[in-house]
Amino acid sequence: MSGLFTEIGAEARAPKGLVPFRFREVGGDILLTNFLGDWVFLTKAEFGELARGQLAQGSSLYEKLSSRSFVRETLDEAKAAERIAYKKRFLSYGPNLHIAVVTLRCNETCVYCHASRANMDAVHTDMTPEIGEKVVDLMLQSTSPAVTLEFQGGEPLVNFPVMKHIIEYALARNRAYGKELEFTMVSNLAMMDEEKLAFLVDRKVQICTSIDGPEHIHTKQRILAGGNSHREAIKWIERINKAYIDLGLDPTLYHVEALLTTTREALKYPKEIVDTYVGLGCRAIFLRPVDPFGFAGKTAQIVEYDRAAFLDFYRAAVEHILDLNRRGEQVLERYAAIFLTKILGDEEPNFLDIRSPSGSGIGAIAYNYDGKIFSSDEGRMMYESGDGFFQIGDVFTSTYRSLMKHETVRALVMASIRETQPDCVNCTYTPYCGIQPEHNYRTQGTIFGRMRESTLCAVHKGIQDYLFDKLRTNDPKTVEILRRWTTVRARSHFIHASTAS
Amino acid sequence: MSFFLGEGSVRVELDESLYPKDAIYGAAYVFIDRCYVHLDRVSDRRVQVTLKAKKAGADTQALAGEFQNELLGQAWRRQIVEENRQLIESITTRALGGAAGPPGLDELLTMDIGEETAFEDPLGIAMSWEEKYKKKGGAKAQPQGEAAETDAAEGEKAT
Repeated sequence: MSGLFTEIGAEARAPKGLVPFRFREVGGDILLTNFLGDWVFLTKAEFGELARGQLAQGSSLYEKLSSRSFVRETLDEAKAAERIAYKKRFLSYGPNLHIAVVTLRCNETCVYCHASRANMDAVHTDMTPEIGEKVVDLMLQSTSPAVTLEFQGGEPLVNFPVMKHIIEYALARNRAYGKELEFTMVSNLAMMDEEKLAFLVDRKVQICTSIDGPEHIHTKQRILAGGNSHREAIKWIERINKAYIDLGLDPTLYHVEALLTTTREALKYPKEIVDTYVGLGCRAIFLRPVDPFGFAGKTAQIVEYDRAAFLDFYRAAVEHILDLNRRGEQVLERYAAIFLTKILGDEEPNFLDIRSPSGSGIGAIAYNYDGKIFSSDEGRMMYESGDGFFQIGDVFTSTYRSLMKHETVRALVMASIRETQPDCVNCTYTPYCGIQPEHNYRTQGTIFGRMRESTLCAVHKGIQDYLFDKLRTNDPKTVEILRRWTTVRARSHFIHASTAS
Repeated sequence: MSFFLGEGSVRVELDESLYPKDAIYGAAYVFIDRCYVHLDRVSDRRVQVTLKAKKAGADTQALAGEFQNELLGQAWRRQIVEENRQLIESITTRALGGAAGPPGLDELLTMDIGEETAFEDPLGIAMSWEEKYKKKGGAKAQPQGEAAETDAAEGEKAT
């Protein structure tokens, strides 16, 4: 980039008549983005013209910039204000994701366990029915018209009776609130049986599991005492997907979601991992790097890696996914879908870790088995590792408003406004990106973070560089696939009626 | 700025006209997991920060460098915050206000009502029906959390 300015040299002048913009070299061209999230690619020659103040009205460069809201005199200010308000509308909702850790006990031992699992005899880490009811009472106070109660652990099936009680209680209590209510469960599925499945399907609980890739990686990283963790997961994924088909639901929309945690070992197998997911009927693959929380912080020398290696893996995997799409397979990568939704339109997918401000507290709340409340699941994981910085209350004494007005929540909101952070304030990807203050705190000791050293920032930047390069190349078939990834198909079956009685 | 390296410790002396006091506090705080931190005033507008490593064998040169970088980051962030105060306040107020909603009956009952707060009307009781329930213009807000293919993984973690 510095070479460009050396070429322009003393002739460089501040461009006049443009809205504030940021720029970055991508694939040999210059990407410009503005505060509205509009973007345009200029050649280096065009950018040179711009830097020399040679933007003639009516020129092709002028028209190009004007059509993407970069020229001040042609900007429709009222429309711009409407667009910003629309993109930020999530600020009016309040927390919609409520995570209940119903136990820390788990029957599997994972090399990267984020949850800081407890042994199966640690029954004191089970949530009681009374605490579960208080979780529901607080959740239903949320200002969000739609709330999701997500069961996590440990392994939530270990404390299934309490999970059942919470679901029944929530359904009954919601008759007075009339919220759109959803349940999800994140499980390794090894303790599933037909009776539990019948209940979960009947109560419309979405089921999500973890698959680390092909069997040899999965079983190596996720140890199931006396069993094969991969085979158990696969068996139940197939069984649950069949249950949805038996209900007459569209299998392309209704199926078990599986999540990947990319470890160092997984980096060697981008194609095999994608093929494993596609083979299981998954239409979305989330290529997430390993998080530094829980046991993963302690096993970093085994599971961690340089983020450049992750980005190589990511590009190889997504190229394979794109090839599959070209051959008619409908499958998307979720990181890409989140960013593309913001890049290609004005929609905000409200993914809590990639929005500004982040969803900490105001988008999600995590309730520990013992009733302690945290601004996020990551904050709860930090507590289990001995740091209670992110605790904002407990179910016994806190009111909903006291949680939202907690000084930690306020600090987390302010720390995750992109426009206030060094580096982010000048970053070309500011309109699309987000900050996760818990990650900053865990890795750098401060919720504000130093993005230049942040591994999460490196991942976000690398993915956006890759996506923008695809858009720059502008291959019609590829762009059509990327656009299709931004289409939202509502899973209305899982929503419990919102009518209050 | 000047710094002195000792055995397992580093002392950094700062000019307050270049590094505001809250930036110094902010930077020093980042080190409390690794160091014992002491702040002292050594002369007018000069502050001395002493970082004493909790573990033996610490690289004091690196510690001093890291502290100086953190200090720059904190000072710059403070400046950016000052420049964007209106934007930050607007987003923060909207974010926290939207999430908290109006106070409920319990909160109203526990409220300390004095001369200053007596005429506040947080539930809009004194408003006319038309004023309170008038239709809002603009794009229809989409409730979040709606089950959708692209947000199913939201917040989910590996089990």
